[in-house]
Amino acid sequence: MNLFRSKEHARNWSQFDAGTEDGIISLQDGASIMSTPRHRDRLSGHYVSSASESAPIYFENIRKVTNNSPFWTPRTV
Amino acid sequence: MPDATQLDRTYHYILETFVACGQAPHYTEIASKFSVTPDEGKRMLLDLTAAGLPIWLHPDTDLIASFGPFNNLPTQYRVTVDGAQKWFAQCGLESLAISWLFPGKTVEIDAPCLCCGDMLHVAMRDGVIEREEPAGLCLYFNVPYRKWRDNLPFA
Repeated sequence: MNLFRSKEHARNWSQFDAGTEDGIISLQDGASIMSTPRHRDRLSGHYVSSASESAPIYFENIRKVTNNSPFWTPRTV
Repeated sequence: MPDATQLDRTYHYILETFVACGQAPHYTEIASKFSVTPDEGKRMLLDLTAAGLPIWLHPDTDLIASFGPFNNLPTQYRVTVDGAQKWFAQCGLESLAISWLFPGKTVEIDAPCLCCGDMLHVAMRDGVIEREEPAGLCLYFNVPYRKWRDNLPFA
């Protein structure tokens, strides 16, 4: 889960795995993934007990941002 | 089964301490906060780490190593707010969630590219990217999402 200067730099990284091309996402998509209540409402005071409500929204958002890539399929599915 | 309300309170205390100080409290501080014995404070911490959140202890200790979105050990993701670099992000992705914890403030993220070593900079406010330098930054995950929980510190 690391930041890179560009997609080319990610592909040239020594630990890049050729089978994980869908693991490269734009900075904007990363910010979008982290924009649901699961990450936005951490200081709500009821974060843990509301996890079961925020998780489906988070998973659905990941599917949307990553165009349903199998690489991003949650374990719960 | 731990009471969900206490899990909420423990979580909130640790996170607000991170936001204020840049580091996690020890379990004895958790105990003091909730007026319980040190052992009960440790139990509160251990209950929280078992709740399925991106939180883990340093191996073989009762010390918080990571508490998403923050890391209690230095990482390459240095986070600055109001000119103070007190925080480290858990990872590149979690660094993009930190601005939610500082409403109305610009959060600066500085990290080296792991390929070339050049410094990268991102500025965010309330979840919105205000600036990225150089343009075209990206994130890379070499572990599929469904396998992250097999080894969260590695993922």
